[in-house]
Amino acid sequence: MIRRAVLVVLGLVWLGPTYLLIVNASRPAASYDPSRAWAPSGDFALFANFATALESADLGRSLASTALYSVVSPLLGVVIGALAGYTIVVLRLRHGFWWFLLIFGGTVFPSQMLLVPLFVGYSDAGLYDTRLGMILVYTAVNVPLAAFVLRNFYGGVAFSIFEAARMDGASTWRIFWRVYLPLSTSALAAVFILEFTFIWNDLIFGLTLTTTADVRPVMTALAGLMTDVYAGTPVPVGLAAGLVCSLPTVVLFLATQRLFARGLSLGSV
Amino acid sequence: MIRSRMATFGVLALLLAACGGNGAATQQKKTELTLYNDKGAWTKFFDEMGALSKQRIGLGMKPTGYTDSAQYQAFIKASFRTDVKPDLFTWQTGGMLEEIVKQRQVAETTAVWQEAIKAGDLSPDLMPYYTIGGKQYCVPMNVAYWGMFYNKKIFDEHGLRPPATWEDLVKAAATLKKAGVTPFYHTSVLFSFVWFEQLMAGMDPDLYDRLATGKAKYTDPGVVQVMEKWKELIDAGYFMNPGDKTDPGDVMKTGKAAMVSFGTWFNTSMTQRDLKAGSDYGFFVIPNVNPALPKTSVIFESGPLCSLAKAADPEASAKYLKWWTTAEAQEKWATTRGDVSANPKVTIADEALGQITKDAGSGRYRLVNRYFEATPPPILTAALDGFGTFVTEPGTYKEVLETIQKEADEYWSTHQ
Amino acid sequence: MTRAPMLGRFRYGYVAPAALLVAVLLYAPFLWTAYLSLTRYDGLSEPEWTGLANFAHLLDDPALLTSTRNTLLWVAGTMLLPVGLGLLVAVLSYDLRGGGWYRVPFMLPYALSGAGLAMVWSPVLSHDGVANTLLGVDTAFLQEAPVNTLAMLLVWTWQQLGVNTLLFVVGLQSIPKEPIEAARLDGASGWRLFRHVIWPLMRPLTAVVVGLALVASLKTFDIVWVMTQGGPGRNSETLAVTMYKETFVASDYGYGSAVAVLLTVVTGLASYLYLRRQVR
Repeated sequence: MIRRAVLVVLGLVWLGPTYLLIVNASRPAASYDPSRAWAPSGDFALFANFATALESADLGRSLASTALYSVVSPLLGVVIGALAGYTIVVLRLRHGFWWFLLIFGGTVFPSQMLLVPLFVGYSDAGLYDTRLGMILVYTAVNVPLAAFVLRNFYGGVAFSIFEAARMDGASTWRIFWRVYLPLSTSALAAVFILEFTFIWNDLIFGLTLTTTADVRPVMTALAGLMTDVYAGTPVPVGLAAGLVCSLPTVVLFLATQRLFARGLSLGSV
Repeated sequence: MIRSRMATFGVLALLLAACGGNGAATQQKKTELTLYNDKGAWTKFFDEMGALSKQRIGLGMKPTGYTDSAQYQAFIKASFRTDVKPDLFTWQTGGMLEEIVKQRQVAETTAVWQEAIKAGDLSPDLMPYYTIGGKQYCVPMNVAYWGMFYNKKIFDEHGLRPPATWEDLVKAAATLKKAGVTPFYHTSVLFSFVWFEQLMAGMDPDLYDRLATGKAKYTDPGVVQVMEKWKELIDAGYFMNPGDKTDPGDVMKTGKAAMVSFGTWFNTSMTQRDLKAGSDYGFFVIPNVNPALPKTSVIFESGPLCSLAKAADPEASAKYLKWWTTAEAQEKWATTRGDVSANPKVTIADEALGQITKDAGSGRYRLVNRYFEATPPPILTAALDGFGTFVTEPGTYKEVLETIQKEADEYWSTHQ
Repeated sequence: MTRAPMLGRFRYGYVAPAALLVAVLLYAPFLWTAYLSLTRYDGLSEPEWTGLANFAHLLDDPALLTSTRNTLLWVAGTMLLPVGLGLLVAVLSYDLRGGGWYRVPFMLPYALSGAGLAMVWSPVLSHDGVANTLLGVDTAFLQEAPVNTLAMLLVWTWQQLGVNTLLFVVGLQSIPKEPIEAARLDGASGWRLFRHVIWPLMRPLTAVVVGLALVASLKTFDIVWVMTQGGPGRNSETLAVTMYKETFVASDYGYGSAVAVLLTVVTGLASYLYLRRQVR
């Protein structure tokens, strides 16, 4: 009971700013007053604000490519990372810790400093402004995280599972694909959510490595609405833009909710 | 088993779809140009211009917008070393333009300027900002004049009118302050330089120009006086809290402060909030602090639209820049954004903005280049930080000036 | 067992994609930065070799002291709030019926991008804003150090808590049921059950959360950039913000790269020391 009470109280605190976000995104664009931001407005203008935001953003064309990146790259990243984690910890790769360190080391670089050399390299390699290039870079950014989570996750799985499968004559690949991957659904999903959100909201790689609307990620114009003083965007429209951008991620959370319920996965392993 | 195969297949299919990007090298003779810019929020406006140009001169244009100008500039500079060549790109006047012109990256536009001035499409007053070593480069993408936006309702309520002298302005501030209204907007982020340049321009514009070129020091008595004047206004309680992150548009609208100093582009913020010029808000030119100066100083900003010396199709790029300066293009460009234009022939719907454009074009003001463009980046960075410190702790002004000067010494020792 | 010899050879094939992607797309570009840190460079003309001059400058730059202090504050704060509270929420909710729904409020903020974050919190933290009204005080939250860093840390907690919770939940889920049942039968419950049975068992995923948070907090950039740009003055700068400002805003690529190298070395070393202990 106390547990539920603590969760509810904390949850309400957390919903406070979310409430502000929704209330102010629903306010008619011209009637925003920061000192009365908490008071709900009589008029409901959420959809009008959505429309204003979308109109200035020209979303249609680039939505597909952003969706492509934020689904394919995390999928690849998760599988490649999980495979590395599996090899290091289950197949007991020699010098596994150092391999792991090499892969995890990919996260220590400040990404802002990678942009210019990546751009120069991409334009030399003909990857500039291609979807393949975007998928590659996003996958690379995702791999270390996936490798780390899955490496540690598989470390906790009883080795007898692997041995049993070997006795049955299964190949290492088959054991990975048929046993270990399904076993780690919740970990995979958590990593997927993280990476999806990162790519969906990414501005830095997407901006620097693309130019055509078909290839460019969707956030640029919407982010510009929110940050650029020259745009003069009213706060409610900016917030509505923010809400629109968050929707896919929120839907993803709710859709994967079930995977994180206790007892669904490998309780008895 | 079947499910996992389906999954593999699905990923493969998506990967194949992914390869359908647009990586092909571009050929000569373009019918559509790319315009790289750091005004990501203006994508819609650029798109409209692209549609218009396609119709009028058979040359389309697609914008590629960035949202962070520092990152944008790094990208453009890096692109000079690659095969990715923007046909057109926005930039900054001042040291930033000089730097890339010296590297022979920018196409000359002397011919475009001469023709445009002859046709009355560009004012010769703008030319100095686009002239390096006697030749012109780029054309004005936008221009803006800086002044004071004020909340008309608050002014009316307290019987105030736009001031004609500095004394009037201070008197108005005192009246508002007494009535419990905060007179001026203030911020410690980015636009922390606004009052510095305004006071410099109104007290000693020559010193301001010398400061920008390293011929004067931030520790000179004239600059110290400016800081003292600024401090005096802060101490009198005329500014709102500079740490407040409220959008300046909302500051104006709600009367959190009665006056906000910005460029004419701030008008967009007003119209986007359904405020009416003349009844809800107004705009005036800020009078000189020193009444003895021959002309009123007006801060001026202009962003260039440039093309590369080694552009894929230099002819098309030049043609586009030429079209950009024409009244037909500028009419559209100014009205969609509710801003002023570099072309004196364009009629500005907003009365106050139309007036300042006309007056500026007729030589009535002394145009002073905005601090942001006038100051070399390393000094600017130190100065913005310094002013940010100063507005929160006004007592520190001497140290702030010394810190900026230290950076300036370092810069000018290698760049004279 | 005839396939056993193949096993050895294939193993490298299995880590190769991960290692290659990371090496080519993350390590290699950083070499350029490492090279620039030994030069004077404005992003345009040829880099001019200056040896260790930029690193010598690091030592006498007062701004670097501030950013180091703020960065450490971020690291400590991140461990305490987003990670600590995230653990609390995970532990409280993981085996409740419908526990997932209790976690939804914490997940929602994670979907919001950085720019949106600044916009939502601006009316809360502003001068006559919600926070001042609620607390009955008059503080400029984003002005004086270290209050501004702490205020941003709270905003960060609001956004990041959910992710940490999610990872902790995954860790809790992976715990075998038997030891817990056994401990229950022995009469352990509440804190004792958690401290002596659950906590040691969830260690692999705790190491993940802490390791990731360590790296991320050392590299704190986005939130500071959208909320204060490191100001006023430079009093809320972190190492990553200093690096960014020197490189891109002031066009001093050499010095900015030196800060980047410093930051990378510190982050690398810290993760190595942590992982060596946690990951065997």
